Amino acid sequence: MADYFQNSEVISLPNIIEVEFIKIDKSYLKVILINFFLIFIPLFVGLILLDKYTFTEEITAYSIYIYALFTSFFGLIFLFLIFSFPKRMYVIRDKDISYKAGLFTKKITTVPFSRIQHVEIDEKPISRIFNLASLSVFTAGDSSDDLEIKGIKREVANQIKEFISTKIDE
Amino acid sequence: MNNLFDFSTFSRQSTKGILVIYIAHLYKFLKVTWILVFLIVKDFTKITNKIDAIYIYAGIAFFLIFFLVRTYLIFKNFQFKIENEHFILKQGILKKTNTAIPFYRIQNINFKQNIVQQIIGVFEVSIETAGSSTTEISIKALSLQKATALKEIISKNTKLGEEEVVVEEKQIKPLVRIGVKELFKVSLTENHLQNLLLFFAIVFGLLQQIQQIIDSLGQTEVIDGFIEENTNAISASIFLVIILLLLLTIVALVSSFVRVFLVHFNLTAYLKEDAFEINQGLFTKKSIILKKQKIQNITISTNPLKRLIGISFITFKQAVSGKLNNKKKDKLIRIVGCKKEQIEIIKASLFAPTEVENSLKKIPENYYKRRIFIVTFLILIAVYAFFYIGSSQVEVLYTAILVVPIVVFLILKKVKKRFYKISDEMILVGKGLLETHITYLGIFKVQNIKMQQTIFQKRSNVADLILQTASGKIKIPCIDSQEAIKIYNHTLYKVETSKTSWM
Repeated sequence: MADYFQNSEVISLPNIIEVEFIKIDKSYLKVILINFFLIFIPLFVGLILLDKYTFTEEITAYSIYIYALFTSFFGLIFLFLIFSFPKRMYVIRDKDISYKAGLFTKKITTVPFSRIQHVEIDEKPISRIFNLASLSVFTAGDSSDDLEIKGIKREVANQIKEFISTKIDE
Repeated sequence: MNNLFDFSTFSRQSTKGILVIYIAHLYKFLKVTWILVFLIVKDFTKITNKIDAIYIYAGIAFFLIFFLVRTYLIFKNFQFKIENEHFILKQGILKKTNTAIPFYRIQNINFKQNIVQQIIGVFEVSIETAGSSTTEISIKALSLQKATALKEIISKNTKLGEEEVVVEEKQIKPLVRIGVKELFKVSLTENHLQNLLLFFAIVFGLLQQIQQIIDSLGQTEVIDGFIEENTNAISASIFLVIILLLLLTIVALVSSFVRVFLVHFNLTAYLKEDAFEINQGLFTKKSIILKKQKIQNITISTNPLKRLIGISFITFKQAVSGKLNNKKKDKLIRIVGCKKEQIEIIKASLFAPTEVENSLKKIPENYYKRRIFIVTFLILIAVYAFFYIGSSQVEVLYTAILVVPIVVFLILKKVKKRFYKISDEMILVGKGLLETHITYLGIFKVQNIKMQQTIFQKRSNVADLILQTASGKIKIPCIDSQEAIKIYNHTLYKVETSKTSWM
């Protein structure tokens, strides 16, 4: 038996790092930002209302700091969303599907087609405006941690789903 | 062989089942309301009014009859049959459910007997499946003949039947048999700390229940006063603390004993052609057939005490669906008190472990140690800051003299126990704090693989690998990036080219 680490076949294995990944649809950034402002604006309005009506004298003295803290917190989240967006990428190879994401923590997940239990396509209300969908694949076991690709064109999602379905049946 | 029973038409459980279900219902009801019942009984003597007493009797009678009717309806509506290689179950009184499970989905068929079922001589048959929403179906009461007949029909179709004949002869000599003496040793060397925590969790749960009731009765002050009085007394006297520690030790030991004896009493394990059969339990006897093919990975664990007398325990992990929660923990099947030779036999019967065991032992990069140290000490500092600000006593900080060396020792232990070995077909992962766990995983059983790298890890050129199997995650933290990529690619290659079914 040949020693595992000198086995020449290992070197010729397809390398996940060298594969060209596809970026997710650009318009999904709009979806992310709309979702962001849908949370940010009501909270901001709420803060203003609190400031106007219920804050006592002592708190109002610090209100400028509270506003600064609030906006800088959400500002950081905003920047994070913008800069982490181009890191979201996926690729489909002949036998598996991969997704990578993350600005500070880079994550890459690969699910072989032969282990997929089922595939799901979700269309959330805001995504639907931009004709986008999210594709999730599920494997056996703890399925909370499987692969989900958000923000690809609905047609593409359907194509991928079809492709995977034929692959599973093989 | 057994065509005494016709499963092609709908049939019900054994009529004795009514009793089993009835008692189970009453037990469940009592478990929820015991404190209320206790309060009523306590104050019962005070009730002089005859009419009130009649109300209480009527109430009890009402519940008893209500449960009887409900039980009867459940029994009446619980029907099952076998059709087209599917197990079909109809159940429900108002909300009718129809479940059909294809045979190939069935993971295993277990026989169980709790104390009631033992007395009236029926078996509970539970059918476990993986990858579907209904994980388990249990038929509460079947006669032994009918239960075996059912099992035979299902297992014949899942190609388990043929070996059954061979097995009969082997059954004379079990692979592992744990008698009372061995069980005693096992319980003595259990992880008592863990059992103690478990015990406290149960006690705490009970206390909360009591507290809730008392709260609703508006008697909180009394209890609060009681607790306060006692805490004062404890802080005043070291003597009491020592007694408390002694008491805790005894509680820990006893709870270990009770737990081990309840679950593992009379443990016998048989090795069959393509399955293990494990029988165990004191009040609830369980008989489990574990198909080798369905085992996702095994973990061999031991602790310093157990190593001293040369025993360890094996945990078999099967595929589960949904999140691994406490309830599903009993899907982890354990054989306790295995000797070294027995472990070797079990390992060899599942896969060829020698190659991976002889490969190079690799440990995580130094980054791993650094990360644990930094994280732990940040938490420790935060905790101390919290206590210091909370109590504003300098004495709190003195405990650090004791705590810090212990923490450092534990971290070093933890780091030392982390290792992995990889061969062409298998991965072996070692971890543990006080206990040592070694997990064996066939690479082709991996469901999906994940690699992650924080910016700090990137600077040190290390990455975490997470292998997801059908029975949970296996992590290999902080290994060299190039190595991680190599394992990543290799795993995918193995999974994608493997022809063997993972379950």
